[in-house]
Amino acid sequence: MSSSTPEAPLTAAEVTRRAWLRGIIGVIVTAISSVVAVIVGGAALSPAFASRKDSWVPAGRLRDLEPGVPTPVTVRITRQDGYYEAVDQQVVFLLKSDSGELRALSSTCTHLGCRVSYDAQSKLIKCPCHGGVFTPDGRNIAGPPPRPLAEIAARVDDSKVFVQL
Amino acid sequence: MSFGDWLNDRTGYRAGLRRVLDEPVPGDVNWFFTLGSVLLFLLALQFVTGVTLTMYYVPTPAYAYESLRFVITQLKFGSMLRGLHFFGASFIVIFAVLHLLRVLFFGAYKSPREVTWATGIVLLLLVLAFGLTGYLLPWDQRAYWATVVTINIAKSTPLVGPYLANIMRGGPDIGALTLSRWYATHVILLPVGVLLFVVIHLYLMRRHGIAGHFNPRPMPTSPFYPVHAVKDTIVIAGVFALLFSFAAFEKAPLMAMADPSDASYVPRPEWYFLGLFQLLKYFPGKLEPVGAIGIPTLVIALLFLLPFLDNRPERDPRARPRVSAIVTLIVVGVSTLTWLGFRDTPVERDPRVWSPRAVAGLDIALSEKCTRCHSTGGSGPDLTRGRINRDVQWISGHVADPDMIAPGLRPPPADGLKNQETRAVIAWVQKVREGAPPPGVRGDERIGMDVFATRCITCHVIDGDGGKEGPDLTHEGKKHDAAWLVKWITDPVAINPDSDMPAFGGKLSDAEMNGVANYLAARK
Repeated sequence: MSSSTPEAPLTAAEVTRRAWLRGIIGVIVTAISSVVAVIVGGAALSPAFASRKDSWVPAGRLRDLEPGVPTPVTVRITRQDGYYEAVDQQVVFLLKSDSGELRALSSTCTHLGCRVSYDAQSKLIKCPCHGGVFTPDGRNIAGPPPRPLAEIAARVDDSKVFVQL
Repeated sequence: MSFGDWLNDRTGYRAGLRRVLDEPVPGDVNWFFTLGSVLLFLLALQFVTGVTLTMYYVPTPAYAYESLRFVITQLKFGSMLRGLHFFGASFIVIFAVLHLLRVLFFGAYKSPREVTWATGIVLLLLVLAFGLTGYLLPWDQRAYWATVVTINIAKSTPLVGPYLANIMRGGPDIGALTLSRWYATHVILLPVGVLLFVVIHLYLMRRHGIAGHFNPRPMPTSPFYPVHAVKDTIVIAGVFALLFSFAAFEKAPLMAMADPSDASYVPRPEWYFLGLFQLLKYFPGKLEPVGAIGIPTLVIALLFLLPFLDNRPERDPRARPRVSAIVTLIVVGVSTLTWLGFRDTPVERDPRVWSPRAVAGLDIALSEKCTRCHSTGGSGPDLTRGRINRDVQWISGHVADPDMIAPGLRPPPADGLKNQETRAVIAWVQKVREGAPPPGVRGDERIGMDVFATRCITCHVIDGDGGKEGPDLTHEGKKHDAAWLVKWITDPVAINPDSDMPAFGGKLSDAEMNGVANYLAARK
């Protein structure tokens, strides 16, 4: 095999030299690892902390609404989900007061999140799951729901209704 | 007792670490012996960047390309991440070959290291298989068409070829099944294989010790750490700096999304397969399997058998002229073929160069006309993200009649796009889908391009694109200066009474007039 001889005892100079070498290795390894960690960490974590932005979505025309009657409107929201473009359909109740003032209510029951619907006969908003009942303007009046239906920001622009989702 | 002492007491890690790091290395081991460590580092880096890419990559034809575009354009350092992985693959091939050549010339494959050598050849083949399978994953034109060629080469294998091709495709055509099986091979099978063989390779390396120089000088051994490890670390730092520069400045390419119906695309393999690709050109028709399968198999077989064919103990390359000559011949042969392959490869259009149409399309897309709906919070997808997965037919239908995609939801804009504007938007969409970086034109020049691409282009050509009624303006700057052009465009008849060109004085703003005149005057 090799004709090399085993290592001789270390001189003081050699001990210092090796300490230096260890230092150089340590610095380079730390530098490379840090660069790789920043790149990999940035790529792996950056979308994790992105927040969702609300947007104003068109939800029909003001003149199609009957005063005092909550009208369910399906709004379509395109949402960027990474490389995927997700399209969410969401139902909101639009409510025009007699004075023409507009409100939008979520159709999600405040009890356990079922989809509520408007019963035209009783003029009440009802939840099919556990019998929660709300008034047309969203107040919880019977059954388990702990809170009124959530209010959604709405505005009228050029007689068109927009809701913020 | 510190935590380290306790852990050592339970595991004995310090003795293990010392065994690994204190390996006695012959004193005459020089810088050539750092190549193995460089490879180990590059493999580890591929592993780390690869795992991160898998967090986003989706191996289906519908989303593979989009998911990679997302990595490159939306993630923090995503482009760097992909660049490191992309160029890292090439670096591994280069250093694997250098490592192999070092072992060949130092005669380190000889007894008792025949098996170490064989595992090294297996690792080289695994690395090439990594390159081949990884090449398909971006699912762009280049990936798709190179894979068509790869599978056709496999198909030319005598007897088993057609079966082999079917297994590689996972069906009769290249598609979803091909992509997912190549992906599984790339991210699971091959990494496990490489890990296994690296462990065996390193174990054998330690078992027999480092071969050292072919004419060993009597020198005391020194421990691997830190005396030799420092050389490895310094070379690794240099290699990493180079790889980092490639990823940062060269940018890994991403072509247009794969289009199986576009047979006009000329396939190009990754550069390290160019030699093989070139070789095929010399074996037409029935002889193709000789070049595609025969010669490469022969070279690989020769490599495996080398320690047994050349079994005398001399290691000095000068003492074994036949092996040195054959190795040199193969190296020269492969390099020449690769170089010829490079020369024969048709140049791909530089995606960084934007035509006036594409620039105008970008400006229209980001104008009020499109961003009224297509912006953050609007009813349509935000266009500034530069991410479009619709095809050209769809876009042209949509800009002509936005109502068609969601009737009733949004009214078509009264001021819809004119014909040239539509074509500009389509040119921009194609540019974006090619993965082009944003154009580096601004100010006056940009306005000039916008005006040219929405008005002048009806009758005039630049770089082969435009109407044929008027003269070609590609090199207009050679003929006229900006001042003359302003006068001409304002009122052509004032200069030449026979001119058919309409006057644009009053139709263009001063900025537009100066912009287009300067833009044309600069085209020498």
